[in-house]
Amino acid sequence: MRPPVTKAPVKQTNHKKVAASKNDAAKGKVKSSNDAKTLKHWLREMLLIREFEVRTMQAYQNRLVGGFCHIYSGQEAVAVGTIAALQDDDPIITAYRCHGHALARGMDPYYCMAELFGRFDGCAKGKGGSMHMFDREKHLYGGHAIVGAQTPLATGLAFATKYEQEVIKTSDHTRVTVCYLGDGALNQGGFHEAMNLAGVLDLPVIFVIENNGYAMGTSVARGTTLADALYRKAESYGMTGHLIEEGMDVVTVHDQFKKVVDETRKTSKPDLVEIRTYRFKGHSMSDPRKYRTHEEEEKWNKQDPIDHLSHDLIKAGELTQDEFKKMTTEIRGEIRDVVKRASEAEPPPLDELYVDVHTGNWGPFKGTTLPNMLRGDNEKTTDQNQESH
Amino acid sequence: MAREIEFRDALREAMTEEMHRDERVFLMGEEVAQYNGAYKVSRGMLEEFGAERIIDTPISETGFSGLGIGAAMMGLRPIIEFMSWSFSLVSADQVLNNAPKMLYMSGGQFGVPIVFRGNDGAGGQLGSTHSWCVESMFANVPGLKMIIPAFPDDAKGLLKSAIRDDDPVFCLESERLLSLKGEVPEEEYLTPIGEARVRRTGNDCTIVAFGRPVHFALEAATELAKSGIECDVIDGRSIRPLDMDTIATSVRKTNACVVVDQSWPFASIASEISAQVQECCFDDLDNHVHRVNNDDVPAPYATNLEQAMLPHAGKVIEAVRSATYNL
Amino acid sequence: MTIPITMPRLSDTMEQGTVIKWHVQQGDAVSSGDTIADVETDKATMEMQAFDDGTVAEIISKEGDTVDVGATIAVLAEEGEESSTAAKAEAPTETDTQDAPAEQPEVIEAPSAEPTPEPVAEQSAVSQPAATPAASPASAAGHEHMRVTPVARRIADDNNLDLSLIHGSGPQGRIIKRDVLQAIESSKENQAAVPPAAIVTSDKPTEMAQVVTPVSTTALVAGDHTAALTPMRQTIARRLVESKTTIPHYQVTMKFNMDPLLELRKSLNDQLAHHEVKLSVNDFLVRGCALAMADHPDFNASFGGDHILYHGQVNIGVAISLPAEKGGGLVVATIRDADLKSLRLISAETKVLAEKARTRGLTVEEMSDATFTLSNLGMFGVEHFTAIINPPNSAILAVGASVQLPVVRDGQVVVGHEMQGTLSLDHRVIDGAMAAQYLQTLKELIETPTMLLV
Repeated sequence: MRPPVTKAPVKQTNHKKVAASKNDAAKGKVKSSNDAKTLKHWLREMLLIREFEVRTMQAYQNRLVGGFCHIYSGQEAVAVGTIAALQDDDPIITAYRCHGHALARGMDPYYCMAELFGRFDGCAKGKGGSMHMFDREKHLYGGHAIVGAQTPLATGLAFATKYEQEVIKTSDHTRVTVCYLGDGALNQGGFHEAMNLAGVLDLPVIFVIENNGYAMGTSVARGTTLADALYRKAESYGMTGHLIEEGMDVVTVHDQFKKVVDETRKTSKPDLVEIRTYRFKGHSMSDPRKYRTHEEEEKWNKQDPIDHLSHDLIKAGELTQDEFKKMTTEIRGEIRDVVKRASEAEPPPLDELYVDVHTGNWGPFKGTTLPNMLRGDNEKTTDQNQESH
Repeated sequence: MAREIEFRDALREAMTEEMHRDERVFLMGEEVAQYNGAYKVSRGMLEEFGAERIIDTPISETGFSGLGIGAAMMGLRPIIEFMSWSFSLVSADQVLNNAPKMLYMSGGQFGVPIVFRGNDGAGGQLGSTHSWCVESMFANVPGLKMIIPAFPDDAKGLLKSAIRDDDPVFCLESERLLSLKGEVPEEEYLTPIGEARVRRTGNDCTIVAFGRPVHFALEAATELAKSGIECDVIDGRSIRPLDMDTIATSVRKTNACVVVDQSWPFASIASEISAQVQECCFDDLDNHVHRVNNDDVPAPYATNLEQAMLPHAGKVIEAVRSATYNL
Repeated sequence: MTIPITMPRLSDTMEQGTVIKWHVQQGDAVSSGDTIADVETDKATMEMQAFDDGTVAEIISKEGDTVDVGATIAVLAEEGEESSTAAKAEAPTETDTQDAPAEQPEVIEAPSAEPTPEPVAEQSAVSQPAATPAASPASAAGHEHMRVTPVARRIADDNNLDLSLIHGSGPQGRIIKRDVLQAIESSKENQAAVPPAAIVTSDKPTEMAQVVTPVSTTALVAGDHTAALTPMRQTIARRLVESKTTIPHYQVTMKFNMDPLLELRKSLNDQLAHHEVKLSVNDFLVRGCALAMADHPDFNASFGGDHILYHGQVNIGVAISLPAEKGGGLVVATIRDADLKSLRLISAETKVLAEKARTRGLTVEEMSDATFTLSNLGMFGVEHFTAIINPPNSAILAVGASVQLPVVRDGQVVVGHEMQGTLSLDHRVIDGAMAAQYLQTLKELIETPTMLLV
């Protein structure tokens, strides 16, 4: 049985051009382009990610989560805002800090948490872990653990959508691939090769730099040229670079990103978007954050995207304190329940060791099966690799 | 009906037939389109299929191998040509992490039905960086398949199977074999991946070889037969899956085994086969398994040094004589 | 001067020996000719003699140790020399010093003042090997140098081949498939015909290299256990398989009226009782067999491949079983010139040899050079059996008990004693009629036993 999905599909009903200047957010006004219901939904999503990550940290400390674990807290506006600007079948792909994207894309938090706990119910049957959130049904092509490795893959996703549309005509609309990467990935060769290929081949892909200021412990300025204007790197590859400076404001992120997506969908040309944001926690669970000052953290904490939006909604009279408290309590209960269920879930059976190595059976290998997340009452997904043409 | 065609034409026939059969198949790589292929394998394919399906890339192995993997995750069936497998090293993360492990990492959600193919092994005086035999290093990784044809008919049949395979398949070709002519059937056929082929039979020694070294093995066997030593020559054809049944059956008959492998000896295909033969045929062995590998040195440039480094029939003969106590 | 005592070569085929028992200990004085140790060879347990006078300075090989022939197993100090100095001097790195001897005992005694408790693990480790029987190290040593390829071993197992008899042609003597196949081939030839060249003319195992030994391949089940072969058991196994598989055996049986012989024996024993002489039936038979040789020289012969060797002496081998506590098995003691010796002498010699065989073991000489063998199981009540020829003999007589039963004598059924004797013969030397004639002669001698007295 699948627990209720927390994310309702976001309808891209509002095509009104938004004057998305950085001042809009600072004014604390709710943008007229998004109705209150949508905004409350985004708030809820950001709260869900935040609470999920709090419990993830707790579970990590309780040894329920192993390995590397990268917390998304602080960057919620990016995942929620950008994904809200996409169509449901636009492929997205990201790096290792991927819990937020998975949840924003609508992955049930239970499957996400079960994956963190290394349980068979996890989205990757407990074989991927924190850095490998995949959801084929939601067109999430993974968290990828090697810095920058997802960028060439993204060109492939975009290439395939274009090929399906233009060559084999199995798709009747343009799908925009969104590839998330951190500022650290900018310095990997693969990123530049991917940018170049996307430019040369005119691929409908948007590279989204989530610039949280640090590649692990190395500040952008120490590791990257054009540190104050990463988006300008686009010029080298003949594409347009965009900056979304107010990356802590989900409304701004959404509205500005939506314009880029619309443009890409129309032209089928790649874009690079830099979104300024901040991770509230360390690079990973073991990071003491010695490279950041307390003052800097304080400054960014004041821009907490959740506080930001809830404050605006309350101020605009769209949300009461009680409603906000109730929402928070509900989500807390929901995630507590998720943790409980995930901690009680079964680990993968030992047989699973030899499943999914190859698609077929040979030697010790036992073919491949879909995770429970894609089974049950959601049997509608067919295995793309099994189907024959 | 069969006709004689070159190895490179057999490869091209495999690709064109499969591209006609399945429009999800496309060919991508450096110089595959307008240049007609650096080694003329894809000659004429641009005219036949157009620039949408025969796609030139910049010199950007990480980029285009990753692109192929991403496209395969979406269900396309890319053929990614490496001008040389030596160049695949710059895309090692894509080739070795993403292609073979994606199905596993994603818990069965995303397979990568891709073919990587290109020249493997020494060309002629190409020096250390361009003479890579990647089989030993790459075959170490679970999740991929690896084929290494030695004759045109297998080149075609195996490559067709590879394109239809749902797993990532690494097809290792040899620059030195591309002009080799051989009989290839007119009618369509597939060569199953994972089945070795016995190219010659004999009771005294089993010679296992892959790719170009199969020819050294056959040459050696012909020479050895003159002194009464008869060899089974097994053309492995696939490295993963490895057809140990055929090898073991032969070793149980001959009680002696020589493996000819063009990669370096340390932790090599030959080492692997030695280990497996000793695991499954221990009580059948009359001598330790003998290995004929590249010498354990970087490929030199000078002709004489390069020849001294590579496996050749003379080394195989010596190994068989030693393995059969006929020194 | 110190004198190393080395592992003696006590048989022609001996390459290693096991010290079974030391009869001397460090500090004991020995004289030339003294028995100082019992040594087990591949054939038997033998006495080892001292060849010099002196004092035992050091015992190097412990009881149970198996060492190569020629290895130093003890050190003897010559008269007038301190044994401890001698022991030290024997060690190659030591230089001669004068002060050591007097202090030596003290050094040895010193630690005993304080009872140091040994760790438990050490104690048990010490106690285990202390009682190691002689057989196991010896048999382990036998396999130490054998190199065999896996397939050669498998084929040998499948064909019940004894690998120890196969010469390895591979590197470092490794037995390879080819060697085993050749051994199978040659054993087939040996069984199929009588190829003269393949026939063994002496008891040297090196010349029996290609002999096939049947072995059990049955898997062990609960309750089963294995025991390593003693050198003697190995020798029996090898030699008798070789005999049975390479000599074309056949048997001829005859019954003997034993009444006259038993009567004569009783009479003689009664008369000689005060001389402590007690003749056995076997003594009469030894004498009878020996005398019959004079008329039948073919029975005192050996097959020599392309010739037959007629022996100048009549040496009758008497099979003696050894008690289980001595490891069991059997040896053949030789009564030399038995045709020239009186019954009384034969009897005395046999008794001495049997006693020695069962207690201390026979010397090689006492077991060598038999030209005909007598095997008697009569004392166990056995009536009839056949024996395997003891190479290089051409015949062996297997005799059973003298049994009381109704017999026909002079047309009357009466109670009498009969004994059955069965000759096993090498057909390459002795034909059936010759065997019958020999038995006829023997029958006359036995049934007219006074013939045996002259």
